[in-house]
Amino acid sequence: MSRVTVDIDLNRVEGDLEFQLDLEDGVVVDARCIGTLYRGFEQIMIGRAPRDSLVITPRICGICGTAHLYAATLALEQVAGITPPAHAVHVRNLCLLAETLQSDLRQTFLFFTPDFCNPIYGSHPLAAELSEAFAPLKGSVVRGCLKSTRELVGIVAIFGGQWPHSTYMLPGGISQPANNRRLLDSRDTLASVRQWFEQSVIGGDLDEWLALDSGAALFRWLAASPTRNRSASGLFTRFARDIGLHQLGSGTGHLLSYGVNHRPDGSGSELPAGFFNADTQQVEPLDHLQINEHVRHSWFLDYPGGKHPWQGETIPNHQPGTDRYTWAKAPRYGNRVVQTGPLAELRIAGDPLITDLLTSEGDNTWLRQFARLRRAGWLLNSMAGTIKSLKALVNEPHFLDPGIDVWPDGESYGMVEAARGALGHWLCIKNGVIEKYQIVTPTAWNASPRDSSGQHGHWERSIIGLTVPDPENPVEIGHIVRSHDPCLVCTVHFIGSHKKTHFNV
Amino acid sequence: MANIVWMQTGACSGDTMALLCADRPSIENLAQLYSVNFLWHPSLTAERRFGDVLEAVLSGRETIDILCIEGSLMIGPDGSGLYDTWKGRAKIDIVRQLAPLARHVVAMGTCAAFGGVHAASPNPTDCTGLQFMKNEPGGLLGPDWRSRSGLPVINVAGCPAHPNTITKVLAMLAENEPLPLDALNRPSAFFASLVHQGCTRNEYHEYDIEDDVLGGRACMFFSLGCRGPQTEAPCNTELWNGHSSKTRAGVPCFGCTSPDFPSDRDLFVTPKIGAVPKFLPLGVARAKYMAYKNLARAAAPERVVKREMEP
Repeated sequence: MSRVTVDIDLNRVEGDLEFQLDLEDGVVVDARCIGTLYRGFEQIMIGRAPRDSLVITPRICGICGTAHLYAATLALEQVAGITPPAHAVHVRNLCLLAETLQSDLRQTFLFFTPDFCNPIYGSHPLAAELSEAFAPLKGSVVRGCLKSTRELVGIVAIFGGQWPHSTYMLPGGISQPANNRRLLDSRDTLASVRQWFEQSVIGGDLDEWLALDSGAALFRWLAASPTRNRSASGLFTRFARDIGLHQLGSGTGHLLSYGVNHRPDGSGSELPAGFFNADTQQVEPLDHLQINEHVRHSWFLDYPGGKHPWQGETIPNHQPGTDRYTWAKAPRYGNRVVQTGPLAELRIAGDPLITDLLTSEGDNTWLRQFARLRRAGWLLNSMAGTIKSLKALVNEPHFLDPGIDVWPDGESYGMVEAARGALGHWLCIKNGVIEKYQIVTPTAWNASPRDSSGQHGHWERSIIGLTVPDPENPVEIGHIVRSHDPCLVCTVHFIGSHKKTHFNV
Repeated sequence: MANIVWMQTGACSGDTMALLCADRPSIENLAQLYSVNFLWHPSLTAERRFGDVLEAVLSGRETIDILCIEGSLMIGPDGSGLYDTWKGRAKIDIVRQLAPLARHVVAMGTCAAFGGVHAASPNPTDCTGLQFMKNEPGGLLGPDWRSRSGLPVINVAGCPAHPNTITKVLAMLAENEPLPLDALNRPSAFFASLVHQGCTRNEYHEYDIEDDVLGGRACMFFSLGCRGPQTEAPCNTELWNGHSSKTRAGVPCFGCTSPDFPSDRDLFVTPKIGAVPKFLPLGVARAKYMAYKNLARAAAPERVVKREMEP
């Protein structure tokens, strides 16, 4: 039996990522997910004025800056006991929903479906259709997606001035109120995106599509009309299932969500927060104290077991050539490996279609990607509802000055769902400045390395056991990894000079 | 056809997202109408691999017309560059290899230009910009470095850079238009106006009606940390995402196109000498500014004093 270690580099937006795989006779027997970039945000925050987190932390991510801004704002409001007015909460939600929707559409049509145009599928009966729809920069769906997503982030700009990277959420509210002009601009933008989504992405009525409540109903609905079948999601589903993506890439069954579209009265979210325990098949209430981070296989100063973010430390300690292999930490929920993102959100919320598909086929590559489109449809309606709620509040205050000169000492957190899933900021303030800041991103959950008890992270798990027929063009790995939404196209490739061949067991 | 290699170093991808947001010209038009060919872009390239492109360019089989770098250049730990690697190689070494081959080198965003947010104190990764470290000329490539075209690194500053500045600069370079640079090597065509110009709170500034609490309608320069009158950027002369700008939306300008962004002080507080900001609008003499402000305040109409005007 020959064992080969290969390096695969993944080009992506949010930090760079590489995989190192051990193959035995073409089967992946071990995987190490490697974060190749360290930027030191948590150290930069130490000693700064607390509100500076609203300017610095959105810059962690060009795609999810609104989510970071929201989490940072919630953490500051919690530490000082500030309740923002309903007007502000709805504007924050509207902007975050818009950012998430833009990410779902770009991830699907700029980053995931270009793989379907890989030369390996050149002789597939759907090849011409796939190329017409999904060819980079040229495909009809790609061009529609570029146009619609540009318009969508305009909604964030209407309220926040610009996207990416603004600071319009403030402890106590938002910087500028909604008014009827801004709401009409938003409504109109949303209407044109919805029209494109119905025509190009699903080929039918959105509400009807959202009402589909089982896998069987979905496949019947698709088969009943050539328009639906030829739509982007129809084509995606037909092709993905034809090449078996619904049988590939199963990771952990445990799911985590911090809740989507927080209600202003603090009574929860439109998609509720929770932890789906795969062992009991039950949704449990979210408890942030269950979260801890391990560094046993990461390039940070070691500590035993896991630490809750309030006790967390991030002290880089690069140790190449050891069994440590990444700049990412390993977050765990009650010491369990979890996945986070749209699949988790919709299952925890009990969406009947996603629940049925997950129960019958398990977590897989097609389903994770389909769940992202399903969420996109859901977001269109949720945004419309949010705009409606705002209409009744335009004369209510958008900002209540908390009147804080010196921020109180204390610990707090802010938790939101970013496009890629659960995002949390934990902070400690002492003597009026930030003493400690710890951030656990969705990608940290999904792309985590092994923890101190040796459990692989979710992405690693989803690849172990996979057969790679052509190591020169391992397109399956590309599909699986991209379905986790690693923020960007991943070019997956094997470099000869990096191969280390072992002849052992 | 101008070949572009766009490489991310210590980045958040904000400039790539800005590129996707550009509408005059859009990325589609850039490719179709302005002879721009993305030989490599981490979020757009579908089939080629970075290693192939690197090999083709280093061996001279393919040429780079424009090398775009997005992100800070991580020098640490201990000068090794290993905080940011590609297949175990320090990205800074790859940048050093590619830069001499390119006709133009463009720093896309403040990180690649001046170090940016990652270089904020205590600069944990020991990072820098391509040819500046904050205000100091130098950076990764040194102050005297010139690309094959004879130009220094072109600094398309901003955090992120303005979407339409990114695509316009690329279109102009691709079409060999002259691109005069300012003292910080930013293209003058985009950095010769202040954020203050075109800000819809200008009338409040004009009459010295200043807010000292966020969330209001008036000017944010005197108390809330706004650097609009000192910051050269196109934000209010070409709006963001077709709609607005930070200052219009009540967000102070944090000066993100400047070499010292983000400054170490409290970003929402204007440092003052007495009642007047320590740093005045660009080029203004203090005594004259104070005299003008006193008169301006006296001339302020009621509708402005009462903040009746929507920004």
